[in-house]
Amino acid sequence: MDKQKIEELKKLIRSRLNRPMRYYLDLCTRCGLCYDTCHVYQGIPKREYSPVGRAEVVRKVYKKYFRPTGKLFPYWGDAKELDDTVMEELYEAAFSCTGCRRCMAFCPFGIDMPHILSIAKVLLIANETAPEELVMLTDAAVEKGESIEMFKEGFMDVVKDLQKNVQEKLNLPSDEGLIPMDKKGANILYVGLSGAHSIVNPAIIFNAAKEDWTLSFFEGVNFGAFAGDPEKMDFIAMRIINEAIELGVNEVVVVECGTAYRIMKFLMGKQPFKVSSIVEVAHRYIKEGRIKVKEGAITEPVTYHDPCQLGRNVGVFEEPREILQMLCTNYVEMSPTREYNWCCGGGGGLVALDNEEFRIKSGKPKKDQIVATGAKIVASACENCVMQLGTIQAGYNLDIEVKYITELVTENLIVE
Amino acid sequence: MWESIYAFVMVPMVYIAFGVFVLGILYKLYVVLSSPPIKGTLGMFPQTLPRPIGVLRDSLLVPTAYMKDKVFWFFIIVFHAAFLLLFLGHLELIQEFSIIQIIPHKIFLGKGFVGIALIVSTLYFLFRRFRPPYSLISVPEDYMILLILFLTMIFGSHMSMAAAYGVMGFDVSVADYRTYLSSLVAFRPVLPAGITYSPHYVILVLHIFFANLFLILFPFSKMIHSVFTFIAHNTKRK
Repeated sequence: MDKQKIEELKKLIRSRLNRPMRYYLDLCTRCGLCYDTCHVYQGIPKREYSPVGRAEVVRKVYKKYFRPTGKLFPYWGDAKELDDTVMEELYEAAFSCTGCRRCMAFCPFGIDMPHILSIAKVLLIANETAPEELVMLTDAAVEKGESIEMFKEGFMDVVKDLQKNVQEKLNLPSDEGLIPMDKKGANILYVGLSGAHSIVNPAIIFNAAKEDWTLSFFEGVNFGAFAGDPEKMDFIAMRIINEAIELGVNEVVVVECGTAYRIMKFLMGKQPFKVSSIVEVAHRYIKEGRIKVKEGAITEPVTYHDPCQLGRNVGVFEEPREILQMLCTNYVEMSPTREYNWCCGGGGGLVALDNEEFRIKSGKPKKDQIVATGAKIVASACENCVMQLGTIQAGYNLDIEVKYITELVTENLIVE
Repeated sequence: MWESIYAFVMVPMVYIAFGVFVLGILYKLYVVLSSPPIKGTLGMFPQTLPRPIGVLRDSLLVPTAYMKDKVFWFFIIVFHAAFLLLFLGHLELIQEFSIIQIIPHKIFLGKGFVGIALIVSTLYFLFRRFRPPYSLISVPEDYMILLILFLTMIFGSHMSMAAAYGVMGFDVSVADYRTYLSSLVAFRPVLPAGITYSPHYVILVLHIFFANLFLILFPFSKMIHSVFTFIAHNTKRK
């Protein structure tokens, strides 16, 4: 690696030294309490897959260039210079981490390891060694944001076709306006994904609740966050924020995608609208009596997988459980659960990468949890999680069905 | 020559160490506070207690360590509690504090056992690092700091125990310590003959030398966790 490149990367590190980063980098005592808290380490027990092992790769580079002890006595803290080997270590650290923050829940200092790894990700992008798939998907999302007018018509045609599914489910005479778009002054702007299920099921719920809503032209998923490009992450999220402001909605409701929800709710600063998850909204409608579901309709054992970004990272624990407890006669909790729940291994954009064998291995703790519950249906509220749970199911040949919360709600909706 | 080195350790180096310690911590805090904040929040859920209480609980009682490793947690608590008691004991070597005498005692609570508890905990932390997986994540700093702490404590404990040699006139009296330490605090340093002529002088010099090293390293090593843990836990609960 030439000097100019190293200087460029050093500048990038400096640009990422925000307030929490400063203390997270200085704070770790390497006590090792986080060592086995990562699902990847549980599946593949190697030091480089332990949270502290990952964070140390970044910390050692930081020490080398930004700490007097690292500059003067690199031996003291094992400070490391940037080179190709270190870049490979940074890749392994950054893209084996799903950003689930389970390690943070166990860290005695509350260090946010994925926040530290965001340094690794910006370095990899600048070094052109970040995963190509994530970079391309990020750029596509940015391109869509920049030239939305070109995409609008095609998207509206696709959505028009989906309206029939909503009409059928709700036994309505016409499919006209069942998935409204570009509706100024609507109460809710719903942000879906590219998959039809992420639009149809919420559309059924909104229509059943007689909600005044409109569908976003943009997908909620934020590949900029997965790739680790902070500027593009902001741009991708800002597309939706600007759309919401332009339409003058009161609430932005985010699809079952934990990362999209966390970014919108907690990582973009204060917004002039309320941000909710579709799961919270479905729960609210049920509680308010705006929609009715068949109580106790599901008799098979059902368990719930807390998406890390929705659960411990945003705090949505009760709503999905209350929905499931209403729908099922045999709801079984996983152990450990809630903030200590094991990550499934699909977050952080990892499901978009060609790494199925790795994800099956790192999904072992989740597989063990599911098997222990004896559940036949595993419900979750995150696209990445549902996809990864499917990979775990196939990889370990589990006799389970994986379903979205909204899917279960619409399947058991009482149509009046 | 040795007398000059001893005198340097006992007076100028103490000032240097405290200066580096205080300014170093202020500098580290300045670096943190002058860095740009993030526009969002990095909080974690559920947040069951009011934030200040939760931050204090998580920082001082380390409940996550209790969940993960009860033996380690026991030594964390023993270590930090003993450290606090020894800090109070050293304050009493400067002058009498009636508030510390709520529990009437001779100087240094615990009759020497607090120091021993600290030494045992330090050795536990040190030996823990010799085996995997902890050895795999440890860097030289981790061992060196524990060694410096161990040496500070072993010499300090010796000085405390040396009080038992009082009948033979070997010990350094409390009055001499108070003369020395209060003179340092008043910036009119005096090294009483009771200290410099004590057969334990060299042990005291070594104790203070390693304590000085500890203070100098404090802001620039992982020991800064004692300050930053409160800030990080506050972030976790935002």
